[in-house]
Amino acid sequence: MDLALTDAERAFRGEVRAFLADALSPELRRGAALTSGVFAEPDIARAWQAILEAKGWLVYHWPAAAGGPGWTRIQRWIFEKECAEAGAPVLPGMGLKLVGPVLYTFGSDAQRAEYLPALRSGEHVWAQGFSEPGSGSDLASLRTRAVRADDDYIVSGHKIWTTQAQFANRLFALVRTDPDVKPQQGISFLLIDMAAPGVTVRPILSASGDHELNEVFLDEVRVPVANRVGEEGQGWSIAKFLLENERGGSSFAPQLLADLRRLAEAAGPLVGERADRALRLRLEAQALEMTELRTLIEIDAGAAPDPRSLTTKLIASKIRQGIETLAVDAFGLAGLQLPLERPFYGSDVPPPIHSAEAQVAAARYLNARAWSIFGGTSEIQLSIIAKAALGL
Amino acid sequence: MNIAPSDEQVMVRDMVRRFLADRYDATSMANGPMPAKDWRALGELGLFALLLPESAGGMGGGAMEVMIVAEELGRALAITPLADSVVLCGQVIARSGDAGARWGEPLAQGDAVLAFARGGREEAGVLSGASGIVPGGMAASAFVVALETGGAALVEADASGVARSAVRMVDGSIAADLRFDGARCVPLDIAEADLSVAVTMAELAIVAELVGAMGTLLDLAIDYVRQRKQFGKPIGSFQAIQHRCARLYTVLEQSRSMMLRAALAGDDARGRAVTEAKAYVLDAALRLAEDVVQLHGGMGVTDELAVGRGLRRVLLLSRLYGGGAAARMALAA
Ligand SMILES: Cc1cc2nc3c(=O)[nH]c(=O)nc-3n(C[C@H](O)[C@H](O)[C@H](O)COP(=O)(O)OP(=O)(O)OC[C@H]3O[C@@H](n4cnc5c(N)ncnc54)[C@H](O)[C@@H]3O)c2cc1C
Repeated sequence: MDLALTDAERAFRGEVRAFLADALSPELRRGAALTSGVFAEPDIARAWQAILEAKGWLVYHWPAAAGGPGWTRIQRWIFEKECAEAGAPVLPGMGLKLVGPVLYTFGSDAQRAEYLPALRSGEHVWAQGFSEPGSGSDLASLRTRAVRADDDYIVSGHKIWTTQAQFANRLFALVRTDPDVKPQQGISFLLIDMAAPGVTVRPILSASGDHELNEVFLDEVRVPVANRVGEEGQGWSIAKFLLENERGGSSFAPQLLADLRRLAEAAGPLVGERADRALRLRLEAQALEMTELRTLIEIDAGAAPDPRSLTTKLIASKIRQGIETLAVDAFGLAGLQLPLERPFYGSDVPPPIHSAEAQVAAARYLNARAWSIFGGTSEIQLSIIAKAALGL
Repeated sequence: MNIAPSDEQVMVRDMVRRFLADRYDATSMANGPMPAKDWRALGELGLFALLLPESAGGMGGGAMEVMIVAEELGRALAITPLADSVVLCGQVIARSGDAGARWGEPLAQGDAVLAFARGGREEAGVLSGASGIVPGGMAASAFVVALETGGAALVEADASGVARSAVRMVDGSIAADLRFDGARCVPLDIAEADLSVAVTMAELAIVAELVGAMGTLLDLAIDYVRQRKQFGKPIGSFQAIQHRCARLYTVLEQSRSMMLRAALAGDDARGRAVTEAKAYVLDAALRLAEDVVQLHGGMGVTDELAVGRGLRRVLLLSRLYGGGAAARMALAA
């Protein structure tokens, strides 16, 4: 056994590090550090996406056949680790991490040719239309209907919790194409143009005051049958593939470790009970880092993903929430300020008390509660682990 | 031993509860500070006079009265300056000679709000230095300042040399970032022990507000898991959910016990019992509020439900006066 990077990997890391040192402007770093939601906002995200695409590293996690750089899992991990350490923006995953892999895995040639370049260039901005008011944990019960009419589906329904739909021009959605079979079998996966007549987006304000979430109403929206990915009725297996990517497609630990380190820098040395909490969080994150590494090293060696990969999102959610609670406490009363102006790195925000990091702490705390809810709640993760890893 | 409230105390509780029930529902709970007119109406009902010491023109209500009123406000997730203004500052001015006469009446009526600040130096009746973030400080007519040099002083908010800027806090209340630059103040003739009695009463109020909030949040969660259906049944029928709710109930009852234990303690034992209650309840309340959000799934993190907003209020209350961690450090020392 040997945990050391090879010479080639070390050289690669040096190359990534040098690139990031050069490519990450102070504005991008500041924008990333003062992001209150899960993903960078469009101004920051667009700029960073363009820089990565120009370098050829935007779709670093895609296989070479799909247009990726052809990196090993270890190289991808090194890249993620370096991005986290350097404080790079976290790009919205709906396009790059979720629908992208679906398209190159299940899409037709025509769909790949139309959608993958537009995704990379930033022309298409994607939102994820899975959840509905009555269908959260029980996603398979979804009711949005798609009825065939010649070469179109007529789609009607109500999606909710649609992250960044207010910025998106494309929606990938699960719809019910056959109400008469087992719920899982009647679902299809559609690509919807959000400019189509009948699509309405309504904002949902988070308790933090951020606007990340939306409802999307679909009222007899015409979607060409050519925009269906895979076969009719294949939507559920595509969704399972996608959710696996959402929960474990990239490593969580690097960002958590980097954020812990940055917290101590911004708040000053943590003492007493806070030092103890910071230490416990770091230990948990170090264990997670090794758990993630074990799995991806095995996959690089040709093994199928170990069931332990099902645990990472659950663990990461707890650490993330612990870090954001610690951040609030580390800044004292200044950690409880919560202006309503957004973004936190913008010019409308009032002068911060203590520091900009303190000013964003309460919003980050509130938004981090969602980590144990989105992408499958922690309770659902536990059930999956019990079933799939332990056979219970 | 007798832990039942007296008839008068029950009357007070029912009066506050009715008053708040008319004004707070799922949409208004924890949705910004209580409007000034409602605060004044509570004053007119005699609620603040009840809590103020006799030397400030009040009726000298004790720990039980503070607990009862604060728990009701907490139950409605009302965002008010009760703990700082009426309880803490009220106790201080009542023990500080002339200040009691000047501020007792407006405090009792709900016409004036006082805020409690820490930090600043006094020399020959003049204040300098900074107090940092003072909760409720923008609406305050005057500040009771616990001085760096020991003792306390009272300074009017519009005195020259008092500079404050608004800081919106996580529960939507407006704090002041407060600085003094040669502000004329009235040194308060209050003994250190009396100041700490005042702080103890305010801490009891915060504990009780949190217990009230915990009760409401748990009620909301129980209602929700009864009616929310997934997989064809109410989510409250899943054992994982039942166990979580059951655990929250035990946490609530333990917290209520700590609160009662503190309120019923004799004057000599109250300081320590309140610190113990604070050490226990503040963190228990935040954990409960977080779990209640979790039980609501996506709905829980929105601004639309009382639970998401309630978490904000609980977060703020649970961090006041150093929070639970400071209380535990004090007890362990
Ligand atoms: C910030 C955020 C962003 C999101 N972004 C998107 C997005 O872009 N696109 C999208 O489609 N969706 C998105 N979601 C939705 C998310 O996937 C759902 O919120 C999640 O699946 C939970 O569903 P629900 O909210 O309906 O909660 P419910 O399913 O109603 O769950 C409520 C509670 O019951 C528990 N529960 C449910 N069933 C069981 C069970 N069988 N056993 C034990 N406990 C159970 C849950 O764990 C939870 O605690 C987002 C959510 C959030 C909060």
